[in-house]
Amino acid sequence: MPKYLCLQRALPGGGQDDRKPSPTQMQEMYAKFNEWREKFRSNLTDIGGRLGAGRLVTTQPAPDGPLVEVKELVGGYMIVTAANMEEAIAVARECPGLVRPGSGVEVIEIHVP
Amino acid sequence: MTTLQFGEHFFRHEYGRLVAMLSRRVGMRHLETVEDAVQCALLAALESWTRRGIPENPSAWLFRVAHNHIMGELRQRARRDRLVARRGLEAVDATTTSATAAMVGEVHDDLLRMLFVCCDDSIPIESQLVIALKTLCGFDVREIAERLFTSEANVYKRLGRARRRLRELPIESDDLSAKQLASRLPAVQSILYLLFTEGYLSSNAKEAIRRELCDEAKRLASLLAEHPLGGTPETFALVALMHLHAARMTARQDASDGLLLLEEQDRASWDQREIQTGLAWLAKSARGEFFSRYHAEAGVAAEHCLAPSLEETRWDRIVECYALLEQLAPSAFHTLNRAVAVAQWRGPAHGLAVLEGLEPPSWLVGSFMWAAVLADLHRRCANHEIAERYREVALDSAPSTAVRDMLRRRLQTRSA
Repeated sequence: MPKYLCLQRALPGGGQDDRKPSPTQMQEMYAKFNEWREKFRSNLTDIGGRLGAGRLVTTQPAPDGPLVEVKELVGGYMIVTAANMEEAIAVARECPGLVRPGSGVEVIEIHVP
Repeated sequence: MTTLQFGEHFFRHEYGRLVAMLSRRVGMRHLETVEDAVQCALLAALESWTRRGIPENPSAWLFRVAHNHIMGELRQRARRDRLVARRGLEAVDATTTSATAAMVGEVHDDLLRMLFVCCDDSIPIESQLVIALKTLCGFDVREIAERLFTSEANVYKRLGRARRRLRELPIESDDLSAKQLASRLPAVQSILYLLFTEGYLSSNAKEAIRRELCDEAKRLASLLAEHPLGGTPETFALVALMHLHAARMTARQDASDGLLLLEEQDRASWDQREIQTGLAWLAKSARGEFFSRYHAEAGVAAEHCLAPSLEETRWDRIVECYALLEQLAPSAFHTLNRAVAVAQWRGPAHGLAVLEGLEPPSWLVGSFMWAAVLADLHRRCANHEIAERYREVALDSAPSTAVRDMLRRRLQTRSA
């Protein structure tokens, strides 16, 4: 089955509810995330993680420091195995907290020769 | 991977536990830093545990992460202002080695100590309540506002007042002496009592929310009762009172969150386990010379719980408890309660006689309770015109629809 790279992207103009979650809400988030992971266990090839600072390596002398674009726009990644793009999108869409105001997900098919 | 089932309030109670433990180690003046660090640790747990599984000892994991966070934060601050932060850092470093996986007894002591620190008499009681809910119970500002039926701005204001005062406290006062603890015990008891009544009597209709406050009060009061310094007969009576009231809580509401009158309640749905626990605490409280208001109130609650029906209630004993309560804590509200009990015992005219000549304070006159009791007693004495007047006042000043509906049922005219 094809694999898909999912990138969490911060969206401009988002972050309406940027207050910190309370302990009670965190416990709810924890439960929801686990439910989601159980539900799509066979799809979640690599649950991935948050992305930190990056560095661009090129043949050109690159500017020193993190690659601003990646740092600011992409928050995290995961790899999903699905029959097709629609199924991969469904998995990503149901991930708690991923698709909301201020955050979206880019689902990209990985071509394996 | 197996999903470990946490307790229902694991995150919230871990928050309280960690704030109490860490603020004792670094000092109350760093309370806000501690709270931020604990928040970060819980967020880190959320990310790490969902991906990599739960560590063997989640509490120790959280402690370590929060502790490291504080250390980092204080070090950074020390770099900015070496002199100010040095003491804080020394205090932290001295305790780091013994810091992990603290014993249960010590945790309880930390929570109680925090409670005693919050009950500083220079902090207004409504601010004490809010800071306790925030730091010990792990509710955030929005949740506290919802539970206390007030605005978030008001909660922020009360919280700010408490924080400011706690920051100003001299460093030595972080460690309260046994004598100080003893002198603060009444303040601690009254904050727990307030926490409980906020839940029990709140005009907030959602039972789950109200019960949560009662459960927190019970949890902290039980900790207090088990501690050598806090385990006095008054504390036992306070715990008894909470259990005996909690036993009847579910029965007080119908399926649609409406309130039920005592005579409408299904006594079979009263929680017998809570009643037994309450009675056991009440028995334990009956030693020593001092009869406190908590004894009197627990006595009233116990009589209700023990009565097989409304008619078979020992109203004479309830009247006696209210009379004692009036002596211990003079309040027109207690007199009003006694009048209701006297009316049940000897008839409505006797109830009205209790209130004769009483000059109720304006807060009571303005409340629905005063008008509702007078409407009811006059109605039962067939003084229909007066009853009708009080009935209108009562319905107008009812704080919620649930209360208004209940009053309508109780105060409907005979012919209706």
